[in-house]
Amino acid sequence: MSAVCAALAGDPVLAAHYADFRGKTEAALAPALVALVALVRQAVAAVHGMGAAPEESALDEGTKLCLAYARRMPFEHTAITDAEAAAVVAHLGEAGFVAFSVLAALADAECRAALVGVAELAGVEANPTP
Amino acid sequence: MSTIPRVSSGVAGEPAHFGSVLAHQPEIAESFFALYGRFWGSDVLSARIKEVARMRNARVTECGFCRNVRFDKALGQGLGEEVVDDITDGYETSARLTDAEKAALKFTDALIHDPDLLTGDARAALQRHLTPAQIAELGLGVTLFLALAKALITMGLEPEAMDRTVLPTPAVLEAAA
Repeated sequence: MSAVCAALAGDPVLAAHYADFRGKTEAALAPALVALVALVRQAVAAVHGMGAAPEESALDEGTKLCLAYARRMPFEHTAITDAEAAAVVAHLGEAGFVAFSVLAALADAECRAALVGVAELAGVEANPTP
Repeated sequence: MSTIPRVSSGVAGEPAHFGSVLAHQPEIAESFFALYGRFWGSDVLSARIKEVARMRNARVTECGFCRNVRFDKALGQGLGEEVVDDITDGYETSARLTDAEKAALKFTDALIHDPDLLTGDARAALQRHLTPAQIAELGLGVTLFLALAKALITMGLEPEAMDRTVLPTPAVLEAAA
């Protein structure tokens, strides 16, 4: 469970809406790219110092470029070039790129919410990992 | 930062903007707008404080679209441009922002920039001015503001120029009768 979901424990309706949005974003890339969802979250978390980066040696080039793009989201989002974006669009298609963009940006924001201790501040005892 | 859309509109006849691009993923769009409507419709945390946090995020993430949009509910709660002008570096000394808003801004800065900003006195001030339920709602809001601003920017949907635009506050859509 993400820190944001945990923090919303006192408002089950809002928590359910957030979980649905998160889940729909994830589902838009699955099942064909289900592995990419976890890899993106892991890669973004690693940029924030929250765990190890994914092992990439066995990954295909398309997945690698998606992860390289996702790693730019936390601190370099304004520096991503048209060429970098075009490469991801070529790999995922336009609809996939839209879902991927939301997924990567949400992964970054969820890491930041966990690091600031949002769940603990909201009265939840433990602050889970993103 | 590109102002040339990196993805086409998913709605025939409409230019690429956040809503039309999200139409490529209708289930994500539907879920997001339901969530956003519920978030803005809740009065656990005032719309004015939510909008203060959204404005701060817009400035820090350099989202020109976010920066120029105003939601009418916060305007109705007294968030005029003279207050918005104070949501910049040095907001701590503003005479127009309330102490609760300054605490919410420090939380916003910590989430979108540096978590170490919310230690000691800043953390105590946040917990003094906002309840745990309000902090939870603020945390959700800043998470969404940040993620959507970055998604918008990286999809190349920043407008080249945009006037200040007051929009109806997102609301829960009623099911058709």
